[in-house]
Amino acid sequence: MNVDTFRERIRRSLDDANLLAALDANAARRKAGRLTAFAALPDHQERRARAHAVKAEVIVHLDDYLTRFIERVEANGIHVHRAADAGEAVRIFLEIVEKQKAKNKNLRPSASSADALIIAKSKSMVSEEIELNHALEARGYRVVETDLGEYIVQLRGERPSHIITPAVHLRRGDVGRLFEEKLGLPYTEDIPTLTNAARRLLREVFLTAEVGVSGVNFGVAETGTLVLVTNEGNGRMVTTLPPLHIALMGIERLVPTLDDLALFLSLLPRSATGQKLSVYTSLIHAPLPGQTRHLILLDNGRSALRASPLAESLFCIRCGACLNACPVFRELGGHAYASIYPGPIGSVVSTALVDPQFDYLAQASSLCGACREACPVDIDLPGMLLRVRAGQTPQPGREGRSLPAPVKAGLRAFRLVASTPRLFAVFQSLGGLLSRILSPRRAYLRLPAWTGWGYSKDFPAPAAKPFRARWKHLHQTVGQPFEAAQGQPFQAVKSEQSFQTAQVGQPFQGVESEHTRPEEIQSPPLPAAPPPQDLIERFCRELTALGGAVERLSAADLPARLQAFLAERGAAQALSDDLAAPYLRQAAVLRPDPSLPVGVTGALCAVAETGSLVLTSQSANALTASLLPPVHAVILKASQIVPALAEALARPEVRAAAAGVIVTGPSRTADIEMTLTIGVHGPGELTVFLVDDL
Amino acid sequence: MRFEIWRLLVTPQASHLTPVNQERLGYNESMPETVQLFITCLIDSFFPHIGEAMVSVLNRAGVWVEFPAEQTCCGQPAFNAGLRAEARPLACRLIEIFEPTRGEIIVPSGSCAHMIRHGYVELFRDDPPWRARAEALAGRVHEFSEYLVDVRGVTDLGARWPGRLTYHPSCHLLRGLGVDRQPRALLAAVRQAEVVELPEREDCCGFGGVFSLEHPELSAEFLKRKIANLEKTEAPTLVVADTGCLMHLQGGLMRQGKGQRVVHIAEVLNRR
Repeated sequence: MNVDTFRERIRRSLDDANLLAALDANAARRKAGRLTAFAALPDHQERRARAHAVKAEVIVHLDDYLTRFIERVEANGIHVHRAADAGEAVRIFLEIVEKQKAKNKNLRPSASSADALIIAKSKSMVSEEIELNHALEARGYRVVETDLGEYIVQLRGERPSHIITPAVHLRRGDVGRLFEEKLGLPYTEDIPTLTNAARRLLREVFLTAEVGVSGVNFGVAETGTLVLVTNEGNGRMVTTLPPLHIALMGIERLVPTLDDLALFLSLLPRSATGQKLSVYTSLIHAPLPGQTRHLILLDNGRSALRASPLAESLFCIRCGACLNACPVFRELGGHAYASIYPGPIGSVVSTALVDPQFDYLAQASSLCGACREACPVDIDLPGMLLRVRAGQTPQPGREGRSLPAPVKAGLRAFRLVASTPRLFAVFQSLGGLLSRILSPRRAYLRLPAWTGWGYSKDFPAPAAKPFRARWKHLHQTVGQPFEAAQGQPFQAVKSEQSFQTAQVGQPFQGVESEHTRPEEIQSPPLPAAPPPQDLIERFCRELTALGGAVERLSAADLPARLQAFLAERGAAQALSDDLAAPYLRQAAVLRPDPSLPVGVTGALCAVAETGSLVLTSQSANALTASLLPPVHAVILKASQIVPALAEALARPEVRAAAAGVIVTGPSRTADIEMTLTIGVHGPGELTVFLVDDL
Repeated sequence: MRFEIWRLLVTPQASHLTPVNQERLGYNESMPETVQLFITCLIDSFFPHIGEAMVSVLNRAGVWVEFPAEQTCCGQPAFNAGLRAEARPLACRLIEIFEPTRGEIIVPSGSCAHMIRHGYVELFRDDPPWRARAEALAGRVHEFSEYLVDVRGVTDLGARWPGRLTYHPSCHLLRGLGVDRQPRALLAAVRQAEVVELPEREDCCGFGGVFSLEHPELSAEFLKRKIANLEKTEAPTLVVADTGCLMHLQGGLMRQGKGQRVVHIAEVLNRR
């Protein structure tokens, strides 16, 4: 992993037309998605600033927040472990699994053969960071990645090339050939067919896995909530079905309160995939009946990062927006970075979290700032990259450590020359003379490719007479400004004092304060909460836009309609929960039977702004009924609709429940060529029976 | 007649503006706005005609320009390369040279203005006395188009440019300083100019200082895209407000044997 091989990797990426086409499509789609999603959020710049402030507060007082968080999580009945580094995290993980294995031999010998205990994983960057799969496979465990993108990448024996869309470097043909070769499926380029094949195979894994592994998107310090954001439903599967759930979390992923969580949930999915909210936002507090939950909190360089000038990089919520915005990532893809954290944020954190040698990654940036602009937490990524270049990393290095020696020598020489104006002028004259001798008629000189510059462009010839020499002969005629001459009053002459006043107190027409982009200024204030009818309409509109269906009916008609609904789908019975069971009568099934085609649940409440349904459960009934069957129906009272996510999260039932989920539309994925496919691991059909008078 | 006396001044250097000289030369309250020019090492050494155009445009906006002759480079190349020890002496020099001067400091290049305004504060992060001086200076620094539009309140300078133009917003200017509306307003007021939008305009051109030397393959890809987008506009002229981008883009066009010209916004505003 040295600089030379990085150059080789760069050249390899640039030679890969398939990769470049995939990355081009990704950049265009993701950027458009993000901009559209934020355009509908008028106060997004304000939210961004708030999110930055919240993260700053958490990182400054991280020890306090961690203590509070761990207390809450343990009080909720989840086992908490702290790992100082990757090795320790793996060790703790293995101990937990070994114990489970011993327990299994006694309890459920038939579940799976003892040696090939199945571990079902949903996406977790921390697990990649500690190279967990490698360690588990070395011990003879069968680890299955269940996120479609991760599954594809695992089958290929690769690492994810993007922190959100792991298979972004592949096209549909690649996946078709992979499934043909590894799974024995007939070759196809049809994305729904490919997705369905993965769904079928992974369903078996979910139902037989002894261990479910997940990451954690946010930990809420105040309540001990583990928050998991997924689209496909695999994250819900692995945290709901296996008797053992192990969550992996970096210590920096905390937010203080559920209110703050609502803020971050308004930013993360929009930045990552352009969604208002991901399909499933799991809120986990306690183990479900018969389940054990563990949380492994990983430091692995984060404390050192926090104490370094790169501390701001810990604000990252791993949305991947900076990768999608980065023109370098667009040419390289994730694999060329060699670190599991690629792109702008990866070029900053990889030195601390993966290997100090990764400081050379920060050189591969034109400092264009597109990353910072895209960052929902306003991390000064160009500033961080500059600090890495200056050796201000957790393990301090020499300034310009990764800089090629000739460039370094050139800049040193330039500093010496530029420190003395006379010497500077001498060199300017020499340069002008030399260029006239070498190439008398050309304004631009051809340089050889090894200079770097000469690889793709010509270099301007130094001027025969530089500006400083011309200045002496420059005559100035200060005139009336053109506009003033056309009749507008313009005070061309004023003292310094009056100028200052004018600048501060009376800005010229159309002048905005510096550093502000026009769109920040034009943001209208948030509209007041709409009246109830608007609320219902908004909810219906949002859910329908996501591919869900809403049927409005009266309470008296509900039982008959439910019966008909089941009959239409050829079901005599439906998975159900306590809220919906009374309306289903004999058709209700309250155990997780995966063969039933329909699940009917109630809901705690619904969120109008995102078209979401909030489901909570002390037992697992609501969770499984809304997850296992391909069809999910929800009975919702009109009065249960609240305007915004923050209000839903403030409900006491949310924190009282062992686990809850915010469902926003049918299960979906876009892991293959960003092509939206509905119905992955969770239900592909979502219908809400909206009852006005219940 | 009001400004006649200024035509007589042939050596308008800061060193001449001692209190005695000011009095002798009639330097008083009734004089026009005075600004300091930080020409930047690239314009000084490679594109002096841009500097001349800029002085002429500023004069036309009712501004008297002074040029502290001791100035060289702001230190940005070394700073961006990570060599802060090399950047610091150049930054100190610049602060010392411009501190005693009067008026705003005008910089014809977004990235250099960004360096003085934001880079210096970072450079002297752990050096409170210099940091305070850097912050004080930062308040006086303006990019050329930003100064004209925001401080002087002018957009129409009577310029005339027959033909089609397109504008490339430089990264440090656009995202670093948040300056975009200003150059656009200036270009919109240019007579006979048909200003068209550059596709994917906000993408970097691939210069990035040492980046273009250290990662020429990546830099070349950015450049290729930018030139392809320029060709889509069919504009013969690309306007920029940063000399780094200018020499990079023009150098790329030259290498590819293309005929388009890249010009600084001051050149456009100076043509009548």
